Amino acid sequence: MTGPSFVLRGLWFFRTSYLGVLAGSALGAMVLLGALLAGDSVKATLRQVAQARLGKVDAVLTGGDRLFRAALADDVAAEKEVVAAPVFLVKATATEQTSGRAVGGVQVLGVDRRFWQLRPDAAGDEGFGGPGESEFFVNEHLARSLDVAAGGTLVLRFDKPAMIARDAPLAGKAAELVILRGGVGRICGDKDFGRFSLETTQLPQATVYMPLERLQKVLDLEGKANLLLLRDRMGAGHAALLERVTRHCTLADYGLTVKEVPLAKAVEVRSARIFFDRRVAAAIQQRFPAAQPVITYMANTIAANGKATPYSMVTAVDAAAAPFLPEKSEGVVLNAWLADDLGAKAGDEVRIDYYALAGENRLVERSARLPVAGVVDLSGLAADRLWMPDFPGVATAEHAADWDAGVPIDMKRIRDKDEAYWDAHRGTPKLFLPLEKGRELFGNRWGEFTALRVPAAVASPADVTAGLLDAMTPAVAGLVLRDVGMQGMAAAASPVDFAGLLLGMSLFLMVAAVALTAMMFRFHIEQRNRESGLLAALGIPANMVLRWRLMEGFCVVVAGSAAGALLAAGYTHWLLGFLETIWSGAGGARMFRFHAEPATLLTGMAGFVLLMMGVIWSVTRKQARRSASLRLETGTEEVVRTPARPVPWWAAGFALTGGGALAGAGMLGSPGAFFLAGLAFLLAGLAAYLWVLRRRVAAVTGELSPQRLALLNCGRRATRSLVVVGTLASGVFLVVSVAAFRKHGGNEWRERNSGAGGFALWVETTRAANRGTNNKTTDDVLNLGAARQRFGHVLPLRVGAGDDASCFNLNNVSRPRLLATDVSVLARLEAFPIKQVMAGCGKNWNVLREGDALRAFVDETTLLWVLKRKLGERLIYQDEWGRDFPIEIAGTLGGTVFQGSFVVDEARFLEHYPSAEGPRIFLLENGADVTDGRAVLQQSLADQGAVVTATHERLAAFHGVENTYITIFQVLGGLGVVFGSAGLGLVTARNLSERRDEFAILQAVGVPTGVTRRVVMLETGQFIRWGLGIGGGGSRGIDPARACRGRDRQVTAVDRTAGVTDSRQRMGVVVARVAASMPRRARSMGSVIIDERKGRAAATRLRLPVVGALGIRAAGIYPEIHDSRGLRQEPLETRAMKTKHARSFDAMPKGYAALCREAPPRPIHDDVAYRNTVEIADAFAGFEDRMTADQIDYFDLLCELIQKYEAQTAKPVRLSGAALLRHLLEEHALSGAGLARILGKTASLGPMILRGERKITADHALCLGAYFGLPPDVFLR
Amino acid sequence: MIEVQNLCKVYATPGESVRVLDGLDLRVGAGEAVAIIGPSGSGKTTLLNMLGALDRPSGGSIRIGGQDISAFTPEDANRFRNRSLGFVFQQHHLLPQLSVLENVLVPRLAGDWQEQAAETANRATELLGKVGLEHRLGHLPWQLSGGEKLRAAVARALVNRPRLVLADEPTGLLDPATSERVAELLLRLNREEQTTLIVVTHNIALAHRIGRTFELVHGKLKEVVR
Repeated sequence: MTGPSFVLRGLWFFRTSYLGVLAGSALGAMVLLGALLAGDSVKATLRQVAQARLGKVDAVLTGGDRLFRAALADDVAAEKEVVAAPVFLVKATATEQTSGRAVGGVQVLGVDRRFWQLRPDAAGDEGFGGPGESEFFVNEHLARSLDVAAGGTLVLRFDKPAMIARDAPLAGKAAELVILRGGVGRICGDKDFGRFSLETTQLPQATVYMPLERLQKVLDLEGKANLLLLRDRMGAGHAALLERVTRHCTLADYGLTVKEVPLAKAVEVRSARIFFDRRVAAAIQQRFPAAQPVITYMANTIAANGKATPYSMVTAVDAAAAPFLPEKSEGVVLNAWLADDLGAKAGDEVRIDYYALAGENRLVERSARLPVAGVVDLSGLAADRLWMPDFPGVATAEHAADWDAGVPIDMKRIRDKDEAYWDAHRGTPKLFLPLEKGRELFGNRWGEFTALRVPAAVASPADVTAGLLDAMTPAVAGLVLRDVGMQGMAAAASPVDFAGLLLGMSLFLMVAAVALTAMMFRFHIEQRNRESGLLAALGIPANMVLRWRLMEGFCVVVAGSAAGALLAAGYTHWLLGFLETIWSGAGGARMFRFHAEPATLLTGMAGFVLLMMGVIWSVTRKQARRSASLRLETGTEEVVRTPARPVPWWAAGFALTGGGALAGAGMLGSPGAFFLAGLAFLLAGLAAYLWVLRRRVAAVTGELSPQRLALLNCGRRATRSLVVVGTLASGVFLVVSVAAFRKHGGNEWRERNSGAGGFALWVETTRAANRGTNNKTTDDVLNLGAARQRFGHVLPLRVGAGDDASCFNLNNVSRPRLLATDVSVLARLEAFPIKQVMAGCGKNWNVLREGDALRAFVDETTLLWVLKRKLGERLIYQDEWGRDFPIEIAGTLGGTVFQGSFVVDEARFLEHYPSAEGPRIFLLENGADVTDGRAVLQQSLADQGAVVTATHERLAAFHGVENTYITIFQVLGGLGVVFGSAGLGLVTARNLSERRDEFAILQAVGVPTGVTRRVVMLETGQFIRWGLGIGGGGSRGIDPARACRGRDRQVTAVDRTAGVTDSRQRMGVVVARVAASMPRRARSMGSVIIDERKGRAAATRLRLPVVGALGIRAAGIYPEIHDSRGLRQEPLETRAMKTKHARSFDAMPKGYAALCREAPPRPIHDDVAYRNTVEIADAFAGFEDRMTADQIDYFDLLCELIQKYEAQTAKPVRLSGAALLRHLLEEHALSGAGLARILGKTASLGPMILRGERKITADHALCLGAYFGLPPDVFLR
Repeated sequence: MIEVQNLCKVYATPGESVRVLDGLDLRVGAGEAVAIIGPSGSGKTTLLNMLGALDRPSGGSIRIGGQDISAFTPEDANRFRNRSLGFVFQQHHLLPQLSVLENVLVPRLAGDWQEQAAETANRATELLGKVGLEHRLGHLPWQLSGGEKLRAAVARALVNRPRLVLADEPTGLLDPATSERVAELLLRLNREEQTTLIVVTHNIALAHRIGRTFELVHGKLKEVVR
């Protein structure tokens, strides 16, 4: 027989007993591993989605609204290491022709065969039959959304893209709608690149695929593309790819053209975007310092001498490029035609009216008055048509009346002579002004110059072309090469930490499972107390026995963990299914795929086994510490320690702490305040329970009834009772209080300070709302016309860089989407709750306009859970040209419709993204019926591909995610309560098992089983009542509204109450079911057969008051009286009983009977009894004024008993004369010298008498007797 | 062999201190058999626990074979019990998961025995033969009668060739006939193995049969003269 075989034998023999431990371990492991595997599954799913989304694409060249040659792909792919596919992407509204069902925001991809080579499962260069000439492919998501199948017909509506931003002045038509029809040829699944998207999200994007050439054709942009997908076959890296792209870019890709201007003897560089980006202009000027900038703009009116000329081109240029301009003069030069029209001459003043941008999106007419420096003939360079760039809608117009310049033009003002001028000279400028003045008047955010002229003497057109290619890079031209492959996988690699989230949610369930398992293991070990005692008696070291026990535990826990790992697979599926309900509206297909990483499994199992072994070690170690003799004697009986005295002020202290935490919620933050206050109230409740329990037990008087007996039994093992009540209370508290955090939509959205900011509708359009030709000076940005009157404020928001970081996106979004708006409007309206701002900032929207960095407000949920950042931190974004710039998190918003985005000021935003398209998101006030308003918008904005959502619905969707998490927490917490209740049942069963002798005796002496059962029910009922009461009370105490100081306004008081009540009712049902099982347990306990020994042992435990209460006259038969609150027949042992507490007056019962039970007054027969009685009497001494009448009687009785004993045993004190003298001197604070003075002798005599060197004489005795008033003879003894 | 001087044991409880043994003295020679009687609660088991180094005295000394066991460290006490002592309890305390033979061999689990396992097993078998259980070696405890269990426990107490056997009411739970057989067994083994035997019992007849008898009264031993 060796240790291991002994362990194995134990495992096999006690297998039934260990089954509970095994089951508990399996449960705990299942919960732990399930959470970890759910995290793995989410990660793996996101990885798969990222792979499906990007296929084999490593990088993407993109330039927003900038277009480049599709042939760039051919150039780049000429070297075999790279696969390049040009794509034209437009956003459209797709309508299924038969049903009329429409979906907005659909990405339409113009692709060719190269695109399909990049799909996820494409092998080598194999071809893929892309859509036919008039055919569309759609992805599964769109097919489901439109309920369309192959063979159906789709109608697409989208804006024609332009090289120049639609918001720019003189940008031509505001928008040109393209309508395209085609049959659906194929539904593309994930393997067919159906997931393709450049947005970092796991949600599928509705996508239509069509031939690239067809799309280019309908857009009149043949040979153009706005995306270049790149696959780096050789893994050369991002830098190498960028170098390769740069090497193959031409001026056309940069949107530049070079033109010879013979009259100016210069080579002109023009931009397809009309206005040169400042960076591009700077790069050209740096490369060609002699380059002369030119600004040509349209003046609405040129007036002088009471005459006016409408709609004329004016050019600002330096005298070096236009010799007819005077040097260093602010004056303008008119051409002869204009001078004649206005009757103006040198020295006159002309007024120029022109359109300028105001409020980032609106045109206002401004005027400038300038002196006339001279008049130039309409010939030569002054008559050169090339001064005017190719303004869209103007350059190609046959007649002046045909202009479609993208600005309001009053055609009635155009005269015949103006038409004649246009016919003869086209856009030849009528007025020239100095360059600096032109920059001041006509510069805008898209740039200042419309051309740059390099003198022909400096460089030929070929030289300029070569120089430009040398000076330019894709980034300078606004073409950014994004490393989407790495970014996508990085975002998927560290998504929202579901493992941590679920672990947190499962914490109570795990704690319950671990506690239950530990409790079962402990009970098992207690059952084997005698075995341990015997082994100790046989000389087996306690450490060795402990080691064997731990080995047994280890084997069981490992087996349980293995079983738990198997169960975890099913549990994870359930969890994932539950989580998927959040995204159930996003397609219906199963989103998460189960995935288990072996490393996670092993780590999780090891962690759990370690945890369990720690707990098992702590409970086993306790048992091992007990002496062998005690274990041999007690068997399974647990030693009850003397309870500590109640400390009622603990309850008050904890309650105060809870109150303080709630009061300081602003400082601690709502979650911190919630948990601190909750914990404090729970502890306060438990302390109060202990205090009340002990007081009630102490106050039990008179004959015992079942109720009183139940009360005494609860107090018998106060710690065990406390654990049971605590477990129940914690579970109830967690489940109920978390339920109160559920958010429900109400009517709060109407308030300005709500998450909806008082706006009723959230509109997202597929087409950006640029300034319409006719509304550029009105606030009808949505072009609603008469319907505009139905709505109040309309808040437009531009959508910038970044990804959706709301709770719907599981990826790790590091740069939330930018939403830019005029924050002064929000400041004026005081809309949306600003929760916190960074130090040094006011709590106002206007802080977003300040600071050196672009500032943003973000929803606090996004900041806390997605970004995991703090106020004041900066995130790095890339501007329009791919340059890094910081965005500072200036403040947080509380639960708003902006969740997942950064809200920034529009003006500051446009500094970094001047070419940004117009607003695509709008918030609208709607005083009337929201449903009606939505219908109007849907009808009016059908062509815009608008999706109209009520703001309260948007908020409810966000809340839905949080509520789903809360539901999971509640379900898991509820399971924890069930297991906690099972623990209660286990403890109850254990208690009953330990008291089986008591029940057996009660049965033996004729007590009806019903009475016994009632006692047990009363005990259990008390636990449940207190558990529910403390848990429920604690959760009410930390009313979330108070904890959050009214910041979560969506949680109404009614909702909270409903949630709390509902949850508490559910909890009551759960626990009541456990309680219902107790009578059965009691019945089985009551049927214990008494054997000879047990009967004898139990008889000694039977308490006479119980017998009396049950109507049984057994007094005298069982003379010993044991208090159930004290020790139960345990052998006296130093270690277990060495603590001795002094009695205090406050702890003494008030009633006479209770006092008698606490310490029965008996005649004193020995010294021990004497000391005990004196100790009790001492507790009362000094408190006479506070004693009750009963206490006074009791105290008097004790005093009589003490006096009687002292009278019997006290011996008369006979002190020697010297001793008496010493005592008296001490009492009178006299020294030896003082004694000498009393005796009237020399000073040395006193000390000598005290030292015994001299005796007290009769004379001395006389003197002393006289001094102390005592008979002299007492000093002579 | 055993020399107990002025042995005291005091238990402190919240309300009082109880002096169970109060200056107890005892001398027992090697190979001698001694019985200790006394009323319930008089401290007989306490005395036995201290003689077996299961408990520590509050005062006084216990010397067994010249060693002061009251000064033992826990490790010394374990070694002492494992090598020099045999315990027979009122209840058999056989481990239910082990066979009778394995139960007898349980002390070997402490390890560090000089003796080979086979040799110990032979002696255990021999001892079980002496107590009349040679046909029950492979049986589990629940398959034995009460008397058989106690006899197995006696064999277990002797497997380590103890110098001292302490028996705590060995016949307390047995019927008279079985009690007689167990008493006879203990005495026979005392004679044959030359072990010192101290038996705590309520049974006056058994006590007198064992040999010198002491009564434990008020914490002190008083020899009972027949």
